[in-house]
Amino acid sequence: MLLCLKVAAQDHAFFESKVRPLLVEHCYECHSGEKTKGGLALDTKQGWEKGGDTGPAILPGKPDESLLIKAVRYHDKDFAMPPLKKGGKLPEQAVADLVTWVKMGAPDPRVAAAKIAGMKADEAKAWWAFQPLPKPDASKTIDDFIDVSLAKAKLMPAGPADPRTLIRRMSYDLTGLPPSAEEAEAFATDLIRHPNSAIQNLMDRLLASPQYGVQWGRHWLDVVRYADTAGENTDRPLMHAWRYRNWVFDAFNRDLRYDDFVRMQLAGDLLFNQSESKQRAEGIVATGYLAIARRFGHDIDKDMHLTFEDVIDTLGKNFLGLTTGCARCHDHKYDPITAADYYALYGIFSSTRFAFPGCEPKGQPRDMVPLIPQAEVDALMKPWQAKNAKLEAEKTKQLQANKAAEQVIANLGGSSSKVVFESKVAEGASVPFEYRVRVRRGEVVQLAVLPNANHGADSTLIEWRIAETDGMKRAWSVAELVPELMKGNPYPANDGAMWCFLETTTAPVFLSDQRQSINGNSDLKSWSLGSEPSVFVNSADQQVMVWTTLAAESFFVHPGPKRNVAIAWMSPLEGEVALTGRVADAHPSGGDGVAFQLKHIAVPQYGPALAELGANLKPTVMPEPMPVIPVAYAVVDTKAQNARFHQRGDPEKLGDEVPRRWLSILGGEPVPAGSGSGRKQLGDWIASSPLAARIMVNRIWEWHFGKGLVRSSNDFGARGEKPTHPKLLDWLAAKFVETGFSVKAMHRLILSSQVYQRASDLPSAVDPDNRLLAHFPRRRLTAEEMRDSLLNASGQLDLTPAGAHPFPAEATWKFSQHGPFNAIYEMNKRSACLMVQRQRRHPFLSLFDGADPNATTAARQTTTVPTQALYFINDPFFHAQADALANRLMSLADDDARITSAWRILFQRQPTAAETQRTKSFLANYPASNADKWTAQLRVLMASNEFLHID
Amino acid sequence: MNPPLNRRHFLCSATAGSLLFPGIVQQLLAESADPLAPKMPHFPAKAKNVIFLFMTGGVSHVDSFDPKPELVKGHGKEIKADHPEIKGRPGYERIYLKRPQWDFAKHGQCGMEVSTLFPHIAGCVDDIALIRSMHTSHSNHYNATLGMHTGSFAQSRPSIGSWVTYGLGTPNRNLPGFVVIAPKQTYAGTQVFASDFLPGAYQGTLVVPGAEPIANVAPRLPAGRQQLELAALRQMNAEHLATRAGDPLLAARMQTFETAFGMQMAVPDAFDFKQEADATLASYGLKRGQTTGFGWQCLAARRLVERGVRFVELIDTGSSGNWDAHGDMMTHVPLAKNVDQPIAALLRDLKQRGLLEDTLVVWTTEFGRTPFNNTADAKGREHHPWAFSSWLAGAGVKPGMVHGATDEIGLRASVDPVHVRDFHATILHLMGFDHEKLTFRHAGLDFRLTGVEESHIVKEVLA
Repeated sequence: MLLCLKVAAQDHAFFESKVRPLLVEHCYECHSGEKTKGGLALDTKQGWEKGGDTGPAILPGKPDESLLIKAVRYHDKDFAMPPLKKGGKLPEQAVADLVTWVKMGAPDPRVAAAKIAGMKADEAKAWWAFQPLPKPDASKTIDDFIDVSLAKAKLMPAGPADPRTLIRRMSYDLTGLPPSAEEAEAFATDLIRHPNSAIQNLMDRLLASPQYGVQWGRHWLDVVRYADTAGENTDRPLMHAWRYRNWVFDAFNRDLRYDDFVRMQLAGDLLFNQSESKQRAEGIVATGYLAIARRFGHDIDKDMHLTFEDVIDTLGKNFLGLTTGCARCHDHKYDPITAADYYALYGIFSSTRFAFPGCEPKGQPRDMVPLIPQAEVDALMKPWQAKNAKLEAEKTKQLQANKAAEQVIANLGGSSSKVVFESKVAEGASVPFEYRVRVRRGEVVQLAVLPNANHGADSTLIEWRIAETDGMKRAWSVAELVPELMKGNPYPANDGAMWCFLETTTAPVFLSDQRQSINGNSDLKSWSLGSEPSVFVNSADQQVMVWTTLAAESFFVHPGPKRNVAIAWMSPLEGEVALTGRVADAHPSGGDGVAFQLKHIAVPQYGPALAELGANLKPTVMPEPMPVIPVAYAVVDTKAQNARFHQRGDPEKLGDEVPRRWLSILGGEPVPAGSGSGRKQLGDWIASSPLAARIMVNRIWEWHFGKGLVRSSNDFGARGEKPTHPKLLDWLAAKFVETGFSVKAMHRLILSSQVYQRASDLPSAVDPDNRLLAHFPRRRLTAEEMRDSLLNASGQLDLTPAGAHPFPAEATWKFSQHGPFNAIYEMNKRSACLMVQRQRRHPFLSLFDGADPNATTAARQTTTVPTQALYFINDPFFHAQADALANRLMSLADDDARITSAWRILFQRQPTAAETQRTKSFLANYPASNADKWTAQLRVLMASNEFLHID
Repeated sequence: MNPPLNRRHFLCSATAGSLLFPGIVQQLLAESADPLAPKMPHFPAKAKNVIFLFMTGGVSHVDSFDPKPELVKGHGKEIKADHPEIKGRPGYERIYLKRPQWDFAKHGQCGMEVSTLFPHIAGCVDDIALIRSMHTSHSNHYNATLGMHTGSFAQSRPSIGSWVTYGLGTPNRNLPGFVVIAPKQTYAGTQVFASDFLPGAYQGTLVVPGAEPIANVAPRLPAGRQQLELAALRQMNAEHLATRAGDPLLAARMQTFETAFGMQMAVPDAFDFKQEADATLASYGLKRGQTTGFGWQCLAARRLVERGVRFVELIDTGSSGNWDAHGDMMTHVPLAKNVDQPIAALLRDLKQRGLLEDTLVVWTTEFGRTPFNNTADAKGREHHPWAFSSWLAGAGVKPGMVHGATDEIGLRASVDPVHVRDFHATILHLMGFDHEKLTFRHAGLDFRLTGVEESHIVKEVLA
C-alpha cells in the first residue's frame, strides 16, 4: 500500500517535471482548449484517451503502439508531430521522456471538468435560458419591471407620446401601414374622452385587421429565411411556396396558439392525418417551413447534407435561440450541444422526404404533396391516365405498323442522296445558305437539324425558301406553313408540292403527335414525337416568351437528344430550284447550338413513297393537359432511419450511427420505435421547452421595440447577450404560456404598458443604447413599410391577399447554371409578398435592408447610404407614386385644400401655418405647370424624414 | 422663401464639413452614423485600393500562364485521375492527356513564360507576381465562383470587396466604396458582391456599362428643379430634426441627400472619358464615345481608383458564352482578345500615373481546365479545381516573379500550393489586415473572410 502511494507520487513528479512542460510548450498551441486540431486534445487525460480522428493517442504501457509516440518519433513523414513549421521534431531527450511516461502507464492527473460540448456540465444544467419558467406573479405589470431598472439607474422616463404619434406607431407596428387622418383624429378625440378604453379599442381594431397577419407574418418569414426560389445553382422558382407564406399570415391573423404553430411547421402532415380535408391540407402546407430550406449545388440530392444543416441551423436559431448548426463538424465550442445532438436531429430530417424543386441535372420538380386525399387525386387522374394510355397504345401500334414501310423508303433514298450543304450553328449563331439544285418530279430536298455533339437539342429557327429559277418561277417557303401548320403532315402545298415533318435519325418517321397549343398558348402549334423532336410555329403577330423568346410568325424545329428532325419538300417540277434561307439558334444559352444538313434525295419514287406512308397515318391528337392537383411545397415522412456521424462534417466519412432523439441538454428523449421520422415528437419537444416561449416573447418584444430583452434574439447561448430585464423576460414567457400561447395577448400586454406608450427621444449618456427603455426608440420604416406607404399615399395599394407569383410554366423551364432563373415581378399588393430570390437580391429590398433570403434575420438592420437617397430623387416608381397622388389632389378646389389634404394623407395631421406658407411659395417659384408643381411638392413630402420615420 | 442652394453649396457640404449641421451632430455622424468613414487597417500597408479582374468560366492554365512541355510530349497518353469532374461520368472511363493549343515564350527581364493567348499581358510580366499553384475546393462554376469571392463554397457570405470596404471605409463619399463593373451577371448572381451579414453599406454597387451605370444616378429633372426640391426637403427635414434633438439617425439620412446630389455629377464624371487623351483611349483599344467593352471597364476602373473608390471589381462576361470551353478551346481566343490589351493598358496606365504604387491589381478566374479529356483529340477541356493560375501586381507585390508550380502535366498544384483562402489572406495582408482579425460578430460567432480552416499568407509574393 505504502509502496503504491510512493510510486504514484513518483509518477506524478515525473509527469509534472518532464511531461507537462513538454506538452504545454510543444502541443498545446494546437491541441488544447478550443483548439483541437485533428479532433485531438492533449490538455486532459480524457483528451488523449478519446484521441482524435485517427483514434486514441496513447495506449498506456504500450509506447510502440501509441500514435502520439509514433508521431513524435518522426518515422512517418505524413504522420509526424510537431509539424515542421511549428518547430519540427522534438529533441531526443524529450521523445525519450514521453516514451518513458507512456511505459509507466501514462499517469496523468489532468482531469477535465465534466463538460457537455463547450460548456461545463453543471453550468449547462444551470444555464438561465434552460430553466423552467416561474409562475407569473399576477400582481405585476411590465412597467413594474422596467421602472425598477430605470430607478436604479436614476433615469427619468420620457412622458407619454402624443395621440398622433401613438396611433402612427401602433398602426405601423401592428399592420405595417399608416393610419388615415380620420382614424388619427378620431383616436385623439377618443383618447381625451375615454382615456381607459381608447387604446384598447384601437388595439382591437388593428389586431382584427387582416393586414395584421401580413405584417407579423412577414416578421416570421424573416426569421425562417423565406424565399421564392430554391437557391441551388439555377435558383429555380418554388411554384407552391406561397401557400406556406399565406398560411403564416393566416396563422397570425387567427392567433393560432404558438405551440401549435411550432408543431404544425415541423409535423403538420402527421398531426392531421385523420382529420377532415381542410385541416389536413393546412397541416401539409405548414410544413413548407421545412421544405423552403435552401438547396445547394448542381445536383441537389448530392448536397442534401447542406440542406439538413440549413434546417438544423435555422431551427436551432429560430425556435430555440441555439446555434445548433455549429455542431456539424465538432461539438459546439461554447454551448452544450454535441455533434451527436446534431446527428440525432439530422436523422429526423433525413427520414423526411422534402419536396424537390428540380435542379439542372434533374429538371423535373417532384414530391410536391397533394392537398386533397388520394381518392380525390385518383378521381381526377384516372380518367385522364386512361385516355392517355389509349392514345399511347394507338400511337405505338401505328409506329410499329409503319416500321417496314419506313425502312423501304430509307433504302430507296440510300445511294442517290447528295449532301448539298452542312454546317454547325454555334450557340446563338445564325448560318445562311444559298444553293441551286436540279430536281425531278417526286424527288425530295430535305433540311435536317441535328443535335450538336453530345449536348443535345435546342430550339432552332428555320427560314427556307425554294424557288424555281426559270419557267413558271413558282416558289415555296416554310413561312407559308406558319398560319396553318395543323393542316397536315404530310402538308399539301401549292402547285402539287408537299412538305413532310420527319424524324430522320435512321429511317424517316412522320412526326405524328399533334399539339394545338403549347403551354396553353394556341398561337404555338407543333408536330412531334413525344415532346421532341418537333417542328413548331409561333403564328402570333408578336413574339412569345416561353422557354426562350420565339419571334413573331416564325417556324422552328427542335431536335431531340440524339434524334434528328427534318423538313422534307417533295418537288412537283422538273428543273432548277434555288434553295435559300438560314438556320439560327433560337435559344442562346440553352445548350451548345445545333448542326444542320441540306440534302437532295434524287430518287423520283421517294416523294410518292413518303406521301403514301403519310396518307395512311392518323395524327395523334395529344390529350388535354394533366388535371391540376393542388399541391404544396412541403414534406412527408419517408423510411425512418438513424443518421451516422459525418466525421468533421464530411458526409463521405461516416462514423457511428446516432439514434434519433431530442437535444441531450434539454432531456435527450429518444424517438420511440415505430413512430416515423420523429418530427412529431420534435415539434412537441420544442413546443414544450421553456426556450420556445422565451425565444418567442423576446421576438415579440423585439418587433415592438426594435431590440429584444435579449438583444441576440437568435442566440440564447453562451455567446449570446444576457437579458437586460431577466425577470421581465421570464414573466412574459410565463404569461405567454398562461394565456395559451396567444401572440395577440402578448401584443395587448405590451401595447398597454407605459413603456410602449412613451415618447421617443435620444439616448442619454447613462444608457446610450437605451437598454433600460427610458423612451421609445425612433425607427425608419422597413423596406416593405416604405413601399406600402408610397403605394398607400398614391391610392394604388391593393390590400387583397397575394397568391402565386407569375412564374413561367414548369414545362418551359430550361434553367441552368449558365442561364439561371432571374426575374423581378412588379405588383401593387403588400410588399411582404414581393417575389424574393435567393441568388439575386431584389433591388429595392436589398437597397433598404430587406431580410436575408439565405439565413434567418432576427431584426432588420438600418443602414443609411446615399444610394437610398438616389432612390428618393430619381427612381421611376417613386416618381410614379408622387404623380398618382398629385392626380388625386388636383381634383380638389384649390391649393389650400390640396395642402391640407396632402398633410393629412401623408402625415395624418394639419399643416402648420408656416408649412402652408412655405408650400405656397414653393409652388409659386417652381417653374412648371400646376400639376407638375404639385408632383414636385409631393416628392419633397414623400422623401421627408417625417413620412419615413416612426417616433 | 429661402434662396435655392446651388451646386457648389451642395458639393462643398458633401465633401468638406457640412453647412447644415452644428458641430455636435456632425461629430455624432462621424462617430456612429457613417459606416463608410475612412478607417486605418491593422498595420500600415502600401495598397489602398484593389482592382479585382475576374475572368468568368475557368481560364485554362496550361494554355495561358502555365507552360507544360511534358504535356505536349505526352499528348494522347492515357492517365488515371480520381477527378471530381469525371467520376462516374459516362464516356469518361478513360482519359488522355491533351496538349496545349498555344505556344509559350519567355518575356520581360524576368523571363516569365506566357502563351500567345495573352501577348499584351506578356509585355507586362515584369510588374506581375504570377501564382501557378492556385487550387480551389469545388469543380462547379457556382460554388467555385462563390468561393473565389467570399471564401465560402456553399453558403452565402460577404464578398471580399465588402470585407475590404468594411475594414477601410472609403475616402470619397460621392462615389460608392465598392464598385462592380459587369456587363452581365456571373455565376451565383449578386452573391458575389453582396455584403451578406455585414451592414448593407458594404455591398458592391453594380455598374452595368451603358447609359445609366448606377441605378437612379441619372437625374430625371432639370438641375434647377431638382435643387428647388432638395432645398425644400432640407428645410422640412431640418425643422423635423430640430424638434427631435438632432437625432443622428435623421441627420445621417439628410446628409445622404447631399451626397446623392453630388453622386449625380460625380458618377457620370467618373464614367465620362471625354478628357482622356486619344493615346490613352487607343491604348485601351477604345474608340472615342465607346461605352462598352472590357477596355471601357478597365479605363473606368482606373478613373474610379483615382477618385478614391476602394475596391473595383471587373467581371469580363456572364454565366454563358464565357471561358467555359468544354466544346472547343478556341473559344478562349476571342475572350482573351477581349481582355488582353485592356488589362495591359490598365497596368501601364496605373504605373505611369503612379497609381500602381498604392493599387493592388488581382487577376483570377474560378478554376483551371483539365490537362486531359476523354479523347486526346477532344477540342475542349473540363473544369479543373486542382490547379490554376492567378496573378497579382502593384502595391506591395514583388514584381516579375513566379510562385509555386504544378506537376509536369499541370494536373496538381505540387510546389507551394496556394488555396483560394491563402490567396484571400494575402490580398487582405497587402491591404494591411491580419485576416484572422478582420472579423464580424454574427449569430454568436466571429466570422472572417478566410473562414475557420487554416490559411497562410503567400509571403513570397510580397515586395
